[in-house]
Amino acid sequence: MAENIGKNVWLYRGIFILLAFFLLFVRLLPLSSVPGHLPGPDLLLCIILAWVMRRPEYLPVMMITAIVFLEDILLMRPLGLWTALVVLATEFLRSRAALTRELSFAVEWMLIAGLMIGLLVANRIFFAITFLPQPVFGFALTQTLWSILCYPFVVMVFRATLDLRKPAMGELDAMGRRL
Amino acid sequence: MAKTRTGPEEFGRPVRRIMVGLLVLLLLAIFLLWRVDSPRMERFRAVLVDKVVPSFDWALLPVTKAAAMIDDFQSYTRIYEQNQELRRELQQMKAWKEAALQLEQKNARLLDLNQVRLDPKFTHVTGIVLADSGSPFRQSVLLNVGERDGILDGWATMDGIGLVGRIAGVGPTTSRVILLTDSNSRIPVTIQPSGQKALLSGDNSTLPPLDFIEDQDQVRPGDRVVTSGDGGVFPADLLVGQVALGSDKRLRVLLSADYGRLEFLRVLRSHDLAPITNSGGIVGPPLPPAVPTPLAEGPAPDAPILTPAGGTTTDVINGDPGESDPSAVIPQGDTGG
Repeated sequence: MAENIGKNVWLYRGIFILLAFFLLFVRLLPLSSVPGHLPGPDLLLCIILAWVMRRPEYLPVMMITAIVFLEDILLMRPLGLWTALVVLATEFLRSRAALTRELSFAVEWMLIAGLMIGLLVANRIFFAITFLPQPVFGFALTQTLWSILCYPFVVMVFRATLDLRKPAMGELDAMGRRL
Repeated sequence: MAKTRTGPEEFGRPVRRIMVGLLVLLLLAIFLLWRVDSPRMERFRAVLVDKVVPSFDWALLPVTKAAAMIDDFQSYTRIYEQNQELRRELQQMKAWKEAALQLEQKNARLLDLNQVRLDPKFTHVTGIVLADSGSPFRQSVLLNVGERDGILDGWATMDGIGLVGRIAGVGPTTSRVILLTDSNSRIPVTIQPSGQKALLSGDNSTLPPLDFIEDQDQVRPGDRVVTSGDGGVFPADLLVGQVALGSDKRLRVLLSADYGRLEFLRVLRSHDLAPITNSGGIVGPPLPPAVPTPLAEGPAPDAPILTPAGGTTTDVINGDPGESDPSAVIPQGDTGG
């Protein structure tokens, strides 16, 4: 039984890596190079935050770092900055796993929304400090708003497909300890 | 009970926190390094992209083609109107073809008369678009030609008709094209027929604006825009597009290249372009050469200018140059680099 759950963790990690690669792949498809489209949601960020909120042990920090850093490289973003911010955000959630376990979804959503806007603002502050040219605030905010709107759907989809939810009362982890 | 659960982790937790802190610091250090030494890190990025993206190649091309087919299939729904439209266009084209043939013959005769030889440097390499920038904030595409094919940074890239962008970042088998619409793209252009010079600066919109036009009154919507080749970093006389008046009353450029379907791109070989070696200095009038002062008075380069004619060396030594010194040193370093 315990081994089963242990394997499960790696199964989920594998699924996450596949999903991340799939999202990257879709974004890289050269379908149209016409600029000016409003940016869509950052689904990878939604997935990372939703998973860390529910099962922090499925996403070790090194995996998040590797995936987001790869995204930094491929999507021509400044190297390392966004990765550092996402790692900080996930660590923030991870250290509060015991607290957030009790939260209702509405409160969780607000927390995530705050976190995403915080990420956006921090990112822009770093850009401003280092005198990097950056897109118009409203344009960048669209992406964050989309991400916030998509977050409940991401949570719902994973709830339905992978049965990803916060650990219930009295659930055991791989070592047979109570979560 | 809670204690027995977290018992073994109590030791691990501070260590973990330190490790995560170090990780974040490392990432921020990478960011700063990227900011300071952008060309080198971009080369690293180009090599990595070169490793990763072509491995997606087997899937990228078929999926792109399939999506294009679905797009085309959707257009079948209005096939009748399209047919009519095409017939009308064909009629016009026939007239144009006649004109073009006559012009071609005339041109050939004139070339023959002048004994002109076309510039043999202007050959091109054609590449297939592999991938997009993947981000709504960046406008670039990745081509499947690179160092192996002799591609160099800064070469112009065109589709069949107009300029698309310039090469920025070359890996062994791939190269990145910064499109004219990217917010980092700046191309010197000439507006025909008035001959006005301007800078085409991308701003993430479909119609990039024209900056620094000398006399706006001489430029009219519909005028042709071609590259000017100023500064020697870009070849001259490549078609860019037509002037259009934006909804914000700014003069913008309607690009000739079909950005909706970038599939095959030509990279023009232009060998005598000035290579870009540094990340850029301050643009401005050249600074006066540093005043030669003995080493002992080293930190006071502008003190002799400030002191009146009667000033002695003691003035120079006593004068505190602390404030003016760094500002005097930094620009010199930039123009020298």
